[in-house]
Amino acid sequence: MSENKPTLSRRAFLRTAGALVAAPAIVPATVFGRDGKVPPSERIIFGGIGIGNRGTHDLNWMLPEPDVQFVAVCDPQRARAAAAKNVIDTRYGNKDCKLYHNTPQFLAERTDIDAVLSTTGDRWHALAAIMAMRAGKDIFSEKPSCMTVAEGRAVVETAQRYGRVYQAGMQRLSEGNFAFCDEMARSGRLGRIHTVRAHIAPWDAAELRHDWLPAEPLPPKEEVDWDAWLGPCPWRPYNAAYVRGGWRGHYDFHTSCIGEWGAHTFASCQVAIGCERTAAVEYHYVNNDSGDGMVTVFENGIKMVLQREGWRGSCGVRYEGTEGWVACADGYSQPDVSNPAMLSDFKKLVGDYMARTQRPMSHMRNFLDCIKSRHKPVADEEVMHYSMATVHAANVCMWLKRDVRYDPVKERFVNDPDADRFLSRAMREPWIY
Amino acid sequence: MRNKQILLVLSAAVILAGAMYTPAQTVPPKQEEGKLIAVLKSADATRKDKHDACRQLALIGTKAAVPVLASLLGDEEMSHMARYALEPIPDPAVDAALREALGTVKGKPLVGVIGSVGVRADAGAVPQVAGMLKNSDPLVAQAAARALGGIGTPEAVKALEGALPGTSGDMKLCICEGLLRAAEGFVAAGKNPDAVAIYDRLRKLDDPHQVRSGGVRGAILARGPAGVALINEYIKSSDYILFSAAIRASSEMPGEAVTKALADGMKGLSTDHQLVVLGTLAVRRDATAMPQIAEAAASGDKAVRLAAMKAMPAIGDASAAPILLDLLNDSDRDIANAAQENLAAMEGPKVDAAVLAMLDSGQTARQLKGLEMIERRRMTNVTAALMKATADDDEAVRSAAIRLLGSTAGADEFPVLVKLLLNAESASEIRSAEQALSGVCSRQAQPAAGGLVIHKAVYGAADGRSADVTAKVAELVKSGQLSITASNANFGDPAEGTVKQLTVDYTAGGVRQTATVAEGETLTPAAAVTPKPLLDQLVAALDKAQTPQKAALLRVLRSTKTPQALDAVRSAARGEGAIADEAVSMLCDWPTAEALPDVLKMAQTATDERVKVLALRGAIRMIPLQNISEQDKLAGLKKLLPMVQRNQDKQLLLGALGNIASADALAMIMSYMDDPATKNEACFAAVAVAERIAETDKAAVTEAMQTVIKTTTNQALTRRARQVLNKARN
Repeated sequence: MSENKPTLSRRAFLRTAGALVAAPAIVPATVFGRDGKVPPSERIIFGGIGIGNRGTHDLNWMLPEPDVQFVAVCDPQRARAAAAKNVIDTRYGNKDCKLYHNTPQFLAERTDIDAVLSTTGDRWHALAAIMAMRAGKDIFSEKPSCMTVAEGRAVVETAQRYGRVYQAGMQRLSEGNFAFCDEMARSGRLGRIHTVRAHIAPWDAAELRHDWLPAEPLPPKEEVDWDAWLGPCPWRPYNAAYVRGGWRGHYDFHTSCIGEWGAHTFASCQVAIGCERTAAVEYHYVNNDSGDGMVTVFENGIKMVLQREGWRGSCGVRYEGTEGWVACADGYSQPDVSNPAMLSDFKKLVGDYMARTQRPMSHMRNFLDCIKSRHKPVADEEVMHYSMATVHAANVCMWLKRDVRYDPVKERFVNDPDADRFLSRAMREPWIY
Repeated sequence: MRNKQILLVLSAAVILAGAMYTPAQTVPPKQEEGKLIAVLKSADATRKDKHDACRQLALIGTKAAVPVLASLLGDEEMSHMARYALEPIPDPAVDAALREALGTVKGKPLVGVIGSVGVRADAGAVPQVAGMLKNSDPLVAQAAARALGGIGTPEAVKALEGALPGTSGDMKLCICEGLLRAAEGFVAAGKNPDAVAIYDRLRKLDDPHQVRSGGVRGAILARGPAGVALINEYIKSSDYILFSAAIRASSEMPGEAVTKALADGMKGLSTDHQLVVLGTLAVRRDATAMPQIAEAAASGDKAVRLAAMKAMPAIGDASAAPILLDLLNDSDRDIANAAQENLAAMEGPKVDAAVLAMLDSGQTARQLKGLEMIERRRMTNVTAALMKATADDDEAVRSAAIRLLGSTAGADEFPVLVKLLLNAESASEIRSAEQALSGVCSRQAQPAAGGLVIHKAVYGAADGRSADVTAKVAELVKSGQLSITASNANFGDPAEGTVKQLTVDYTAGGVRQTATVAEGETLTPAAAVTPKPLLDQLVAALDKAQTPQKAALLRVLRSTKTPQALDAVRSAARGEGAIADEAVSMLCDWPTAEALPDVLKMAQTATDERVKVLALRGAIRMIPLQNISEQDKLAGLKKLLPMVQRNQDKQLLLGALGNIASADALAMIMSYMDDPATKNEACFAAVAVAERIAETDKAAVTEAMQTVIKTTTNQALTRRARQVLNKARN
């Protein structure tokens, strides 16, 4: 690595640009890697929105990175914010992480923050990403990253509008086993791919709840800001179960068992078959409560089958071609393959993929690198949007209980005004992008 | 009574709303609209009832529902749900209602109404919304700015541009957002000059930085090919915001002109900026940039050189190969290593040709690098070149070439490889030839019927719904099928509606193994056998070989695990000298149970104590490999007991007993529990057996697991023992 110092540090830029103007990192690529140490002035300054259990997991990936400095956390739930602060402060051995309760205020005040980690519930993912990017931040957004096709499109437009780096939490796109399977499909080693199979969550259903849990007294706003927790979703009375994670399975807050894992597996499948910038066009209804066995078809004729079983771990994928198949899921020591000889190329395939795409096998590292290089990360806004569009259309197929066709260019269903009604949901004021 | 009346007008879905679960997203029949409207008009309907009615109307509502929904827009409790229903209704009456509401509702509901006007892009609302840009409520003014951008007419843009001067903070950002949205609309409509005008204005602002970035991107992209001029301008900018925005925008523009702007513009930039440009060139994968990238790789700042080399496999152009080849010998080790890494990652026949040419260079270091590249790139069709290299003057080159032939050569080259082994002059060459011959034997092996025993086969789902199909699989194997398809056609359907798996526990070629395939796949439980002609050549060569080569040939034969190989090793073991010692060791370490009679005999009769020990250990290992009953295996191990005196042998015995699922084996294991030297292995073996017999030998398992729990200090093993104990007690 070079011993040269960057010609203009990010903080130096800040000084020249004015103290109140937030600015992106200034590519300290020559600095990073010098004995693995990064001076504080060159670190990427991070803030968090809605850091819960999943967020703590992400923090554990992010905090050890030498070029990351996490400085603040915002959450409408005081206890969650405090827990995240504790993780961060423990890591840094200080008490410096600041707490915020109100997202607009947090984004407006912390102009020093370069990037945001957003691990809210599903209902807030798109809005948080849009608000952060509009405020000039890059963002790592957990999945499922949008509730509707319209939300996904708004995320895409905002990222492109402001030139922000967006990475969705589709970590399996940066894991060796999955990357190997994707490359086996992409490189033609499986022959002509005809079918891919995507794991959907084996709990909950495609049908979602619309009941309200019994009303409970509102806690003090400083403990739980219920209005902010609901965000753009329809109002409903407070019940502590929601904020403890019981929001899953409710139509207003969740994208069903299909979105729960499909957010990962559809993206992997679509990347593997070169359909990451489009969505499936045909959705064939299956008469069950989960979508298990639904066949979707892409414009290139490749089928993607939704499956609840067939893997030994979570979030599995399987790619089938005329000359073999590969499959993997979380926890596999190595991918399943139709011919053991395929595995002899594991290191080469993954290594070549990394060399060709300049992407590491670390989802968070890929994001951090792209913050500096301004390149698109592996799960950029379009990869997120189009794979989630397939999720949404599959849900609509189940909700309408019939086959549907979707046009991924017009982003509407084909001659199907009833299905089009599901494409967007009016957002609750003032949580409107 | 009134509640009863409400129930009469609610649809079934609405009736169930409230505390009960309701799949409310199901589209209600269109004729339900009147009933849903009635709910909204009812004074007795709860807020939940009305929310549900709005949600249903969002799916089936028409012009008929607009008046009642419009009447709720000023109601703080219902305003959002009224818009929730109104926004997707494709009727101009909705726009009229929202426009009217713009003049009547206040506060947060007004913010929402403005937002819906923007979503529906109602051009008729521009005058009203524009008037709200100066509203004293910042949320209203900001919503108006964004909505005007969504509407995006020239009038809307004019209002936004007029409001921009003098603003700051969130309001300025929202006006800029509106302008950016409008510009995107112009581009979508093909009105690029109008968009360019907006983008040009925004890129020249002092702040916010993200708006300047957006302005630069839009100004470049909206100009089309003419946008290259801006890339040329901004690539030289010392303002990182403008520079990075232009480079990022370039990645959205195809074409050699853009590539040229980046490649030419890179020279003279700071290191950091060059790294960004090189990364972008890599992503573009446009080979026209190769000359500039090659120049960057050749000399100068090390970080830039490394980035330039890294870009080469990404671009994938063969012209990079000779450049990287040259850099293999760079005096800087990091550069040389990077050249090697990136060369290995490059694809294509031209790169392969460049690598092969290295073998003809006459330079040993280069030849060895070339051979390494062949291996790392997993190149095929290189046998002829490798064969040629086996005659090289340099031993290291010869040795590497011979070894590589093992992964590329076929049956045709086998005689030459045998000859190379016989003529090998050094230990290194012998080792390489041995590896090569073993490699060919392995790759040429074919599945063969016979010697295949099916122990257990199960077809079913992960949830436990499964069928024992051992007999069926055995029948298929007996009929001559080497590959078994996991299908309902073969095995019926024990778990309808799920993807099933076939798991087969079998012994093939003396080796016991388990394989699992998913429904629709095939499983080939046959042993792979090296073709006889290859074995014949190896055996024939034994007579001509000198001692080291003969030992190598025997090791190759052992790797094939065939009866013919076993015979050859037996024959050698009967001889004298070093080769006989080597052959005896091989017999004791034979991978299948076929050598059991030999090792049993040696264990009992050998005069050499070392041989006795090796033979005993071989027997302990081989007995469980036999295709005989568990009781017979146990009996076989029991016969060895008088000879099992050393602690290490006892531990091996316990390992073998752990594979035998019987109460007798468990009892035998338990007898080793009191000896400190064997108790750990005994605990592991006891749990392994108990897990398999917990349901059939409950009393013995219960007693054994209680002992294990008291004896072991291994927490994981304790957990397993407790689980088995619980199973045995239930």
